[in-house]
This record gives sequence, structure tokens and C-alpha cells, in this order.
Amino acid sequence: MSALPTFRSGARASMPIAIGYVPVGIAFGVAAIKAGFTALEATLLSAVVYAGASQFLVLALVGSGAPILVTALSIIATNLRHVFYGPAIIEAARENATKRHAWAWSFFLSDGAFGSAIVALNRSRDYFSPRFMFGIGAGPYFAWLIGTAIGAVAGGALSAYPAIDAAMGFLMPALFLSMVLSLINRVHIPVVIVTVCVTLVLILVTSPTVGILGGMVVGACSSLAFGGRKPA
Amino acid sequence: MNTEFIIITVLVGLGTWMLRYLPTRFMRGTGDPRAPLSRFLSATGPAAIAALYVGAVLPMLSPDLRAIAPLLLGSAAVVLFYLWRRDISIATVGGAIVYGIVFAVV
Repeated sequence: MSALPTFRSGARASMPIAIGYVPVGIAFGVAAIKAGFTALEATLLSAVVYAGASQFLVLALVGSGAPILVTALSIIATNLRHVFYGPAIIEAARENATKRHAWAWSFFLSDGAFGSAIVALNRSRDYFSPRFMFGIGAGPYFAWLIGTAIGAVAGGALSAYPAIDAAMGFLMPALFLSMVLSLINRVHIPVVIVTVCVTLVLILVTSPTVGILGGMVVGACSSLAFGGRKPA
Repeated sequence: MNTEFIIITVLVGLGTWMLRYLPTRFMRGTGDPRAPLSRFLSATGPAAIAALYVGAVLPMLSPDLRAIAPLLLGSAAVVLFYLWRRDISIATVGGAIVYGIVFAVV
């Protein structure tokens, strides 16, 4: 497959994520209905926020009585790791990088979209273009919306098939694992080991949000300590 | 649809978009792949995804071997399928199918 900087090659690169987002979207839709929201509200939340963990927090915190601004800021803080995604993509694209239309494609940079962009750019920098980034973003975004709507309208039906339900719940972890495998090289093996250890400890003693962000930053910083070797 | 819900949704949407966009907009490349910032950013991809895997898997862990058998065998299947075909989609779907089968059996 040649590395064309087109919408289609972006869409192809993020296809696995798009498939994985449907069941996670369904889980969110089901949770929203259980929390007393309507199907329209759940879908609107997915369309406007488009960030899984923080959407679950919105469900939990709306109506909790806390000041609106405090609630909003603490939910936004759970997405802090996203500040590294755009710069990491620009860095990976190097001489092909352009920030044209970045205000629009960066909206679609969820964890999965970022992962698929990095995996593709790791294969070839020639993929990068705004069109490619829109292609990366479109599939997972609409899959997330459709999943949310399905979950909100018909989520209950899935509980009749526990094995399928369980297998779908494993799609995202399986995706993350195979993306790590495809990104790993001699330089990044120590980075992944440090990240896994730090994330594990931080999640256990603090929270998943702090653990994922902290593990990721410490892990990426450790690449400087193992430095001096061939850059990735 | 109540006002508080709409305001929080719009604020969180705006804030999340700013987290994704502003660093992209104001970032300056170093032009040197060996510069510390460049090395940090190229390690961010594998580090972020490894951290997300730990975050996704940790709540599934349990001291009961039967409870985590689907996770262990599913993850092993992902690795084996990946080494065999070098394809993310095949590894993911293969791992999820093994997970579902083991879940149904134990």
C-alpha cells in the first residue's frame, strides 16, 4: 500500500478504531440512559465533547450541585493528555507537516484517532496532509456518534448475549495492545516498560486520569535518559 | 434538556478542543530529530498508547484466575496474531474473538 496523503488512506488507517468505537459508544449510550439522560442528550454530548472518559464524568457530575465552572474545568482536566497529541503528530510528519486546517482536524484527535495517525506516520511520513487527518478523524467520530445512539435507543438488547458483550468490551484494550506492538522498536522498548510501570503505580495510588497522564509523560521523558542512540 | 447540562457540555467541548488544538497551533518544530523536545514527542505515541492499555486493563484484573483467563488469553492472542500477520485489525479482532470464546467457556 503506497503512502498517499489522501482522505481515503486516513480513513483506512483509522478503520480498526472506528470499529472499536461502536461498542464503547454503545456502553456510553447505555450509561447515559441509566443516569437519566435522553437519547438526544447522550448523542449531543458525544457530538460536542467527543472524549469518552470525560463524557462519563459529565453524566456523573451534572446536577451534583457543584458550581458549573468548577465542574466543567475538572472534567476538562481529565483530557489533559490530549495536549501532546497534535504536537506529536506534527513532529512525526516532520518535513511534511503543515498546520493548515489544524483548528478543524485537531477536534477529532481522540486517543484512538491519535494512535492510528501515529501508527500510519510511523510507517511513512508521506501520509501526512490535512486531508489525511480528516480521513483519520471521520470514521472514529461517526462510529462514536452511531454507537452512542444505538446504546441509548437499543442498548438493553445486548445483555442477552453476554459473550459478545464481553468480547466487544475487550476491543479497545486489544486495539491499544496491537498499536503498542506496531509502534515498538529498539529505541522505544524501554519507554514502554517505564510507562507501564509508572502508569500501574500511579493509577493504584491516585486515579486513572493522573496515572495515564503521569505514566505517559514520565515514559516519554525516559526516552531522553535512554538517549544518544538512533532516533526513531 | 436542562440549561446546566447544555452549558457544561459546551464548556467541556470547547475546553477539550482547545487542549487538542492550541498546542498544535503554537508548537514550533526543533528541526532536529535528536533534540530533546523531538525525542520526547516521538516517544509520546508509544507511551500514550501503552498508558491507555494499562488504564483499560487494570479494572479487569482480579486475583481469581478464572475471572482473568479471558483477559490473559485474549491479550496473548493479540500478540500472537500480530506477530503472525503484522496487522492491527486482524490482531484486534482475533484477540476479541478469543476473549469472547474463553469468556463463554469458563
